Amino acid sequence: MEFEFDEDQRMLQRLVRETVAKSRALPEEQLWSTYLELGWLEAPPVELAIILEELGYAADPTPFLATATWFAPLAGRLPNGSGTAVFDGVGEFVLDADRADEIALLTADGVVVREGAEVRAERVAVFDPTIHVARVEQSELVAGVPELALMGLAISTVGSCRRILDLVVAHVKQRQQFGVAIGSFQAVKHKAADMYVAIERARALALYSALTIAEDAPERARAAAMAKAAAGECQRLCFQSGFQLFGAMGYTWENELQIHLKRAKAGDLLLGTAAVHRKALLV
Amino acid sequence: MRLAADPEIEEFRAEFAAFLDANLPTAEEAVPRAKSSADVPPWAREWQRKLFDAGWLVPGNPPEYGGRNASLPQLLAHAEELSRRRIYHSFNPQGVGIIAASILSFGTEEQKQRWAAPILRADITAALGMSEPGAGSDLAGLRTRAALEGDHFVVNGQKVWTSGAHDADVLLTFVRTDPTAPKHKGISVLLIPTDTEGVVRRPFGSIAHPDDFDFNEVFFTDVRVPKENLIGPLNEGWKVANGSLGHERTLLWLSYAERLEDLIRDAACDEEWYATLLMDFQALKLLGYRQLGADRNPAEVSVLKLFGSEAVQNATLRALEAHGTESLLHPASTAAHFHMNMEVFSSSWFERYARSFGGTIAGGTSEIQRNIIAERILGLPR
Repeated sequence: MEFEFDEDQRMLQRLVRETVAKSRALPEEQLWSTYLELGWLEAPPVELAIILEELGYAADPTPFLATATWFAPLAGRLPNGSGTAVFDGVGEFVLDADRADEIALLTADGVVVREGAEVRAERVAVFDPTIHVARVEQSELVAGVPELALMGLAISTVGSCRRILDLVVAHVKQRQQFGVAIGSFQAVKHKAADMYVAIERARALALYSALTIAEDAPERARAAAMAKAAAGECQRLCFQSGFQLFGAMGYTWENELQIHLKRAKAGDLLLGTAAVHRKALLV
Repeated sequence: MRLAADPEIEEFRAEFAAFLDANLPTAEEAVPRAKSSADVPPWAREWQRKLFDAGWLVPGNPPEYGGRNASLPQLLAHAEELSRRRIYHSFNPQGVGIIAASILSFGTEEQKQRWAAPILRADITAALGMSEPGAGSDLAGLRTRAALEGDHFVVNGQKVWTSGAHDADVLLTFVRTDPTAPKHKGISVLLIPTDTEGVVRRPFGSIAHPDDFDFNEVFFTDVRVPKENLIGPLNEGWKVANGSLGHERTLLWLSYAERLEDLIRDAACDEEWYATLLMDFQALKLLGYRQLGADRNPAEVSVLKLFGSEAVQNATLRALEAHGTESLLHPASTAAHFHMNMEVFSSSWFERYARSFGGTIAGGTSEIQRNIIAERILGLPR
C-alpha cells in the first residue's frame, strides 16, 4: 500500500487551499459557480476528499457536500444544479433538502430522483446556522447510507477540526498571561498536541475510506464506519480542548471559533455519531 | 495513493519470506530463550549470523555489514515479514539497531571493522549507556565524566536503565568531556568494554518479576578507555545521539502495531472498547506508511510513538479489565506461543499492561513527545 498523495493530488490540494483562502468573502452563488467551473463535483473519491477537507476547513456554505457525496452516489450522476439524497429510511435531517434542485430518494422500489420543488421539504432550526437541514415528507423510504456520504462528512469534520486547532494555536501564541504566551505552558501544549494526533488519526482513516471507495475494495464499508467514528471522536476532543484553550474569547458570538465548533459537532451528529459507527465495527 | 503494493517491494518481500521459510530455527532448536536484551543464546547467534551473511540482518546496510542497500519501503517490508512471524532478527536489538548503526554512521573505518561488524555478526553484544540517575528526559544533563589523560579517557560516574548491560560485552557510553561547555556541546561517545577494570554492573528486577533482569545500574570508577574508542568527534556526542536512530525510529511504530495486532487476536470481543483497538491499529499503519515519504517532518515520528504506545496501553488496560478476576492469574499465558518471540508478550494481562509503560516512558516519555509535537509541528513557544 502507498499512503501518500501523488504529485497531481498535491497540486490539487494546493489549488484548493488557495482557491478557498481567496474566495472566503465571496457570496454563496459565486462560490458555487467557482466550484463548478473548477470541476470539483466530478472529482473521484480521493480527490473529492482533498477538496472536502478544505471546504470543511472553510465552513463552506454551499450545498457541495450533499451534492457530491449524497446525491451523486445514489443517483449515479451529478444533478442539474445542486442535489441531495434521502437514504436514512425516514427523511429526517436531510442536508440541503430545502434548497436542492434535485433530490434522490432511496425507496423500496430503488432510487427515485425528483425535482427539488416537487418534494415537500421543511428546513428545521439547528444550532449550526451555516448548514441547511430539512425534514422530507415521503413514504416507502428505506435506509442505505452510501459510504461516500460517511467519508464526506468525516473528512469535512476533520477539516473543521484542523481549523479549530489552527485558531487555537494562533490564539495561544499571541495571548499573554503571567508575562508569557500561554502556548509556552505544557498544560496548553499537551492539549494542542493531543488535538493534532486525533486529527492525524481521523484524517488518515477518512482518506483510507476514500481510497477503498475509489478502488471498490471489500473493506470499504468498514473503512467508512471507521472514518465516521474517528471523525466524531476527533471533533469531541477538538471541541472540548479547542473551546477550553480559547478561554472566554471562544464563548462569544463574534469569535470565529464558534462557527467551526458547531460545524464539527454537527458533522458528528449527522448520519450517526461515533458511538453508532463504533458499534457497526463490532459485528 | 493506492491499496496495492509496489511490485518491486513485493519481489523483495517474497525473497525474504522464502529465506525465512528455509532458515527459521525450529521450536526445538530455539532454546533456551533469551533472558535479556543482550543475552544471545548460541542458536540465536547462529540465526543472526545467517541473516548477516545473506544480507538480511539490516537490509539498509551495505553488503559488508549485513545488508543490501535496501530502501526505506523495503525495510518496512522486511520488518513486516519478521513481525508477521513474531520473530526477531537479533536478540541484541539495541546492539544491532542503535550501537552498530551509530558506529557505521559516525565511526572510523577501523572502528566499523573492529566493533560494528562483530556486533552485527553476533560475535559480541552491546548495550546503550545513555540515561543516568539525574539525566532521563533531560539526557543532555548527563554527568558521567570522561577526562582525557594522555592516550586514555578516565571515566567516572553512573548510568542506569542500561538494558542488557550485565550480558553485554561492550557499552556505548555517553559521557561529559567538556564540563565548561553548554550542556549539549560537551558530550562525547565512548565504547567501553564491560570487562574493563572499574566497570561494575548491577542488574535489577522489573515490575514483572524480581528476576526479570534487563535493566542495570552501571558504575564507572577510574575506568581507563583507550582514546581510539571515541566514536565521532570529541564533544559532538549530541549529534551521535540524534543522528544514528533515523530508520530505527521511523519504523518503531511497527512494534506497537504488532502489539495491537496481538491484542486484536487475543482479546477479541464485542465490547465497545474493542472498536477503538481496531481503529487505532488501522490508523497507526496508515500513518506509518505515510511516514515513509521523502519530505516528512522528522518530528512526526513523535506522533507515531505517542499514538502507538498509548494505543497499546489503552487496549491492554481494557483487555485486563475485560477479563475481570481472571486477570488476577499470574503467571498466565494470554497469547499464542511463538517460539522465536520473547516470553513477555504471551504473559498475563497484568504483565502485558505493565509492560506497555515501556512504550510510554522509554525513548522519550509521552510528555516529551507532546512537547515535541507542540513545539516542532505546531510551532508553540519553547
